[in-house]
Amino acid sequence: MIINEGVVMMSVYDLKPGQTALVSGILGDEKLAKRLRALGANEGVKVRVKSFAPLGDPIIINFMGFDLAIRKRDAKNIVVKDII
Amino acid sequence: MVVADSKRMITAALIGNPNVGKTTLFNLLTGLNQHVGNWPGVTVEKKEGFINDNVKIVDLPGIYAMDTYSNEEKISKSFLESGDVDFILNIVDASNLHRNLYLTMQLKEFNIPIILILNMVDVAEKKGIKIDYENLSQLLGVMVVPIVASKGKGVDKIEELLSNGIFSKANHDNDIHYQNVVHFKSEAETYKYIEGILSQCLTYTSENTFTITERLDKILINKFLAYPIFIAIIYLIFQFTFSWVGQPLADLLDSFVNDWFVPHINILLSGANGWFKSLIVDGIIGGVGSVIVFLPVILALFLCISFLEDSGYMARVAFLMDKIIRKMGLSGKAFIPLIIGFGCNVPGVMSTRTLESEKDRKMTALLLPLMSCNARLPIYLVIAGALFKGHEAVVVASLYALGVIVAFFIGILFKNTIFKKDDEPFIIELPEYKLPELKSLALHTWEKGKGFLRKAGTIIFSVSIIVWLLSNFNFSGMTEIDKSFIAGIGRFISPVFIPLGFASWQNSVSLLTGIMAKEVVVGTMGVIYGGNLTKILPTVFTPISAISFLVFVLLYTPCISLIATMKKEYGSKMAMFSVAYQLVLAWLVSFIVYNGGSLILRIF
Ligand SMILES: Nc1nc2c(ncn2[C@@H]2O[C@H](COP(=O)(O)OP(=O)(O)OP(=O)(O)O)[C@@H](O)[C@H]2O)c(=O)[nH]1
Ligand SMILES: [Mg+2]
Repeated sequence: MIINEGVVMMSVYDLKPGQTALVSGILGDEKLAKRLRALGANEGVKVRVKSFAPLGDPIIINFMGFDLAIRKRDAKNIVVKDII
Repeated sequence: MVVADSKRMITAALIGNPNVGKTTLFNLLTGLNQHVGNWPGVTVEKKEGFINDNVKIVDLPGIYAMDTYSNEEKISKSFLESGDVDFILNIVDASNLHRNLYLTMQLKEFNIPIILILNMVDVAEKKGIKIDYENLSQLLGVMVVPIVASKGKGVDKIEELLSNGIFSKANHDNDIHYQNVVHFKSEAETYKYIEGILSQCLTYTSENTFTITERLDKILINKFLAYPIFIAIIYLIFQFTFSWVGQPLADLLDSFVNDWFVPHINILLSGANGWFKSLIVDGIIGGVGSVIVFLPVILALFLCISFLEDSGYMARVAFLMDKIIRKMGLSGKAFIPLIIGFGCNVPGVMSTRTLESEKDRKMTALLLPLMSCNARLPIYLVIAGALFKGHEAVVVASLYALGVIVAFFIGILFKNTIFKKDDEPFIIELPEYKLPELKSLALHTWEKGKGFLRKAGTIIFSVSIIVWLLSNFNFSGMTEIDKSFIAGIGRFISPVFIPLGFASWQNSVSLLTGIMAKEVVVGTMGVIYGGNLTKILPTVFTPISAISFLVFVLLYTPCISLIATMKKEYGSKMAMFSVAYQLVLAWLVSFIVYNGGSLILRIF
């Protein structure tokens, strides 16, 4: 869970492997946020957590039809809603 | 706008996302043989090639978007902005059009004519994606050409377009559409626009839910299997190189050179001058010959590395190693240059450009020379073959492992001293696995083999001759080797090596010449020890001093090409630091190995 301006929000970090949710926005490091948006992680896009690395971190997520490895710390910045 | 002027060279730039097949197409169009691999970030430099006298093609690093991120992407962006580009060959992955067209939208704003090349249509078909090319061309306002670069399909069409009257036609097409280039306010808006176009052009025939890549990932990055499999792969590569293929072939070549070639040359030269015969047999064959017999081993190892690089496994290694390598403050991506470094450190250092932060780049470049490169192999094999017959593989494997272990500790040391900084974000796209094409494996391996032969014919050849000269002369003319120039030079350095146990002047000189290229160590030994090293080396080394020597070879100052690359990429201060710290490191570790080892031997 992340708490942003008093509102509790859910992020990709909170999803279990196999779960899919809709992106609602990206926080944190502006460089990374911009890159993720350019890759297609924009509001309303489906993002699925595929698996965790054997040592628990990083994780593999899938959106717009390709797999991306991302550290948990950075995955916390991908805010999601509506687990499907 | 381009004017179809036959006198002027037309420059076409290959632009596209990473790993979409730009270099594959570049090689096909130009007949060159640049590095292709299945992970994002293979190409890190601008490379030029020619289709004919009028058309120049420029291969560039992959780029996801115009907001630059890492150093190699800046190269592509600044080349586009340089104004030297007449044509953009925008290659996109047909199986992943949404994301690939994002860059296309940004490219359109440059007002340079674009040909949209849809590569990997084979993958798209396998995924059940059908594309209406005609419609896509209409809606995007660019020429669209579908190809399968890895199989060469459709490439003739591009060749034809580029060498014939394409320019006027494309200009015409683009003239119309550049009047209504769309400007977007946000990424989301761009993607909405792309979705609007693609929904009219794509149809999905089957929903392929469980692909080969997903199946393989279930095993290769499985919680329990991932690391054992990684170790098994490395073990297999070792077996292939040292037991099954490489070494047996090298042994054959060795007996050919020593039992057939040299005796024949001796007979052939029986009437020649003594010094001339010595120059040819002791100088050139002794030097170059003792190195060149290792060609099969080097080819075998490069073949394995090429297979790994082209399979899609490299990005997974970055993923698997991230948490471990983070202890050194690096990201998993730094693992890729390090693995490349096992082939040759120079492209490894080049490939550090793909890392996100300056700190990561510098630190990885400094650790890279600790990865045992192929050039050091002949030295290991000669010495292990002479002193540890039957146990060569263990000796070599231990040296590789020692390099990695030392790198780990030095990395932690660097992290806590000169490179204190927070972790950077780390993301890497995981490409689909694929079975490497036999042809491209063979080409790539051969390219490396050629490099090795070139080195043998230039650096090793000339150093061998120089060493021969210096070992046969001194100020009073031709002389005994013991009184020669080279003995003098060797005796001047050798005291440094007394605490390390291998302080003969011959060893000292060999190490000194090894700075030209590591294989030269063997070449020099071949010249000054004269002929058959397997017989002579056991009289020169004890087992423990041999190990100490090998450890020193593993860790000491890299060759001049690496120093030059380091200087070019990171400046002379870094290059000097790299040389200095490795000399000290090599000396210290060898000291510990020699004296520790001797102590243990004495106790037992
Ligand atoms: N299935 C399939 N694979 C292809 C095709 N074209 C290229 N490849 C493979 O895709 C991978 C990437 O090819 P490269 O040519 O290195 O790609 P690149 O765009 O130069 O990549 P970077 O230099 O990293 O940006 C290699 O493994 C190629 O063999 C194709 O048409 N179909
Ligand atoms: Mg490339």
